[in-house]
Amino acid sequence: MVVASIAFSLAAGSVQAQTRSETLRYVTGASVNTLDPNIPGSTREAFAVSLSTYDRLVSFGRKQLNGKWVFDLGKITGELAESYEVSPDGLKMTFRLRKDAKFQDGTSVTAEDVKWSLDRVVTAPVLGKAQLLTGSMTSADQFKVIDPLTIEVTLPKPDKLALPNLATVYPIIFNSKVAKAHATADDPWALAWLKENTAGSGAYKIETFKPGEQVIMARNEAWNRGTADKSASFKRVIVQSVPEPATRANLVERGDADLVIDLQASDVQSLEAKAKLKVISTPQYNAVTFVSMNNQIPPFDNVNVRRAIAFALPYDDMFKAALFGRGSPLFGATWADGKPTSGAYPIPQPVKLDLEKAKEYLKAAGMPDGFSTTFSFNVGQASTAEPMAALVKESLAKIGIKVDIQKLPDAQMSTQINEKKLPFFTEGIVAWLPSTDYFYRNFYTGNQRWNYSSINSPELVEIAQKARFEPDAAKYEQDGVKLNAIHFSEIPQIPLWQPSQDAVMASSVDGYTYQFHRQVDYRDLNRK
Amino acid sequence: MAAFGATVIRAGRRFLSSLPALFGVLVFTFLLMRVLPGDPAVFFASGPNAGKEEIEVIRKQMGLNKPVPEQLMLYLYDVGSGNLGRSMMTGQLVTKDLRERLPASLELTFTALLIALLSAVPLGVLAALRPGSIIDHGVRFFCALGVCVPTFVSGLLLIYVFYYLLGLAPDPTGRVDIFASLPPRRTGFLLIDFVLAGDFDGWWAAFRQLILPALSMALFVVAPLARITRASMLVSLGSDFVRTARSVGLPWWRVVVTYALRNAILPVITIAGIVFSTMLGANVLVEKVFSWPGVASYALDALLSSDYAPVQGFVLLMATVFVIVNLLVDILYGIADPRVTIG
Repeated sequence: MVVASIAFSLAAGSVQAQTRSETLRYVTGASVNTLDPNIPGSTREAFAVSLSTYDRLVSFGRKQLNGKWVFDLGKITGELAESYEVSPDGLKMTFRLRKDAKFQDGTSVTAEDVKWSLDRVVTAPVLGKAQLLTGSMTSADQFKVIDPLTIEVTLPKPDKLALPNLATVYPIIFNSKVAKAHATADDPWALAWLKENTAGSGAYKIETFKPGEQVIMARNEAWNRGTADKSASFKRVIVQSVPEPATRANLVERGDADLVIDLQASDVQSLEAKAKLKVISTPQYNAVTFVSMNNQIPPFDNVNVRRAIAFALPYDDMFKAALFGRGSPLFGATWADGKPTSGAYPIPQPVKLDLEKAKEYLKAAGMPDGFSTTFSFNVGQASTAEPMAALVKESLAKIGIKVDIQKLPDAQMSTQINEKKLPFFTEGIVAWLPSTDYFYRNFYTGNQRWNYSSINSPELVEIAQKARFEPDAAKYEQDGVKLNAIHFSEIPQIPLWQPSQDAVMASSVDGYTYQFHRQVDYRDLNRK
Repeated sequence: MAAFGATVIRAGRRFLSSLPALFGVLVFTFLLMRVLPGDPAVFFASGPNAGKEEIEVIRKQMGLNKPVPEQLMLYLYDVGSGNLGRSMMTGQLVTKDLRERLPASLELTFTALLIALLSAVPLGVLAALRPGSIIDHGVRFFCALGVCVPTFVSGLLLIYVFYYLLGLAPDPTGRVDIFASLPPRRTGFLLIDFVLAGDFDGWWAAFRQLILPALSMALFVVAPLARITRASMLVSLGSDFVRTARSVGLPWWRVVVTYALRNAILPVITIAGIVFSTMLGANVLVEKVFSWPGVASYALDALLSSDYAPVQGFVLLMATVFVIVNLLVDILYGIADPRVTIG
């Protein structure tokens, strides 16, 4: 009996091994909550799944950055579009669809489907609406079917971000016939149905979808639109939610999971030291973690107070305690004659821990004895923010600033940020399309949530708006330098670092590329 | 038979009389969720570029744009018609989520309670038979250890030893190996469904998956059960009827099991009932550590993101389970001691 059961379990093991090598098992702390990334409330994991189940007109190429593959904002290749052209005046983009592109139900992808999908993004109450706005696409009139395989997009102004916007996760192309069949009078864009079902042409089909638990996808054998002109490599992809980070680390170390990107920095470090697995750390070059101050609330409405804080933060210790040094620091730079070294965003700032200087600024602000304030962070980021907050408190105490640490549940933190009630806190930002004007327009202007510091600088607004439509690269760079200079002289918030995205994977997994949405594009991967 | 019918009728009446309490729980949770700081609409609109407009859309979707009394009336109407609302996190109906996840939690909790009872009752009896002996101290030590190690610590330790170091346990994620196929869903209890489907390898896989989480949950509750068993066994062993039974020369096991234990078991049943209800809701950490798709971890996630409908649904569910468990305890009382009837 015992022998039989051992023999059986061995046999079962080998059968499993076969399917295993063709399967990618990806474990993550978050969960997929919708199959349509446009639904408000969708998670980042959901973006990664829809990127595999749907195609867009175009997608980003990839490039090497310090020996690691990252997405390339400057190189846009066709996905459903066989070719595209932008008119010389930049007002018209014409996309010619692949003749052989088929939806997963076997019907051909037509310009009508593309139009319906793009109309949906700019018309329905979906997340994509605000995203496409950043690329000057706001109305269904802008999308015109020329012939069954050609679609034209017209823009009111030449906009550098129009084309890249079509490569983000929202403007996915739906099978409009299927979607319309499930639309209702209340729900003309089939939001409810597409949330739980897919109607796409992507590399993978949904096999099972259990929100909050797992998604299992099977390869679409007919798909031939890979960025490297090949079908997806893995036959099956399992995306599984495993909330406990230590368990995720165990799973990948034991070889039961193939890939994980959201481990704790300490676990990544020990796994890297053991050298059994492949660890690819890419600085998230489109993300920034910062300490923000509310520029409208005293005492942070005083620029000298903000400067004092900037010189009182123990940057090196914070970087080590929060991230174990995994990322690229945005502090400790030297700017020759005080001018920004580049027009890119973000760039390292010329700040470092200097308590004497901090005290001088406090004196200049008329508060030589300091003041009391709260420093907030959200529970979701506790593993990095908690040690950081303790160091901030300790260091600021040395110049007389008393800090109360406030750990807020995520929903509460977002509410308070939205209502502009937090004086002093840490947050992170990400831009899918990391260009300087995009960062400044979205995170430093207007009375909206993402303007964390509530900075109100007419000069900054003017330059950022102008830069958006600046066709001349040299002038654009100059605008960027100006914006960076304003940023440093006002110090509305203090950029700290760009955290690394640590992807830990079985040594057999190859092709990992850091993507704009900070998730894994399963189509990139293969097993050697 | 007539006695059985009477019990059922009484039980039904008892259940009906607890409905006002359930109603109170419903309204109280509803109001409590509204009072908590944090605007769920803002949280769920946290994607890049989500502005005021998106927040309004979500607020409307969640019905938060209406005044609170109207929201309450609508909610009560919905609950009355069997609809607990929709979860923003999973995008599913709360009733569907709970129906899918409750069996997972129940299966885990039942198994844990069974393990706990099977080890706690003999341990308690042993300790009571030789009070002050080395066995008694040993039991006390074991119980103290079980209680003072939090469940997530014991869970992680068990994973570390049995999965990571020894490789004996399957990977600690979910209820069954991810590559295995599930049996057709009949009861939602995998151990039962696999048997019904005649798939015994599947049953074994599900069983192996269940052991570690159930053990770490059981460890935590062995202590109260063993202590209660010991205490009431001591009382019962010192009572007149046991002395009488001994003096008439009945075999010792008969004295211990039939006379002493049967009388000592009542408080154990009470405690087991309470332990069960608390375990079901309080074992969030075990469910988290083992990625167990149960109701407790679901409710915690919902609470953290101020997702109202699932939290309210969960609290209502727990209240109902508590009522039912109490009822069951009363019925078991009647069986253990026919003098007790439920009224």
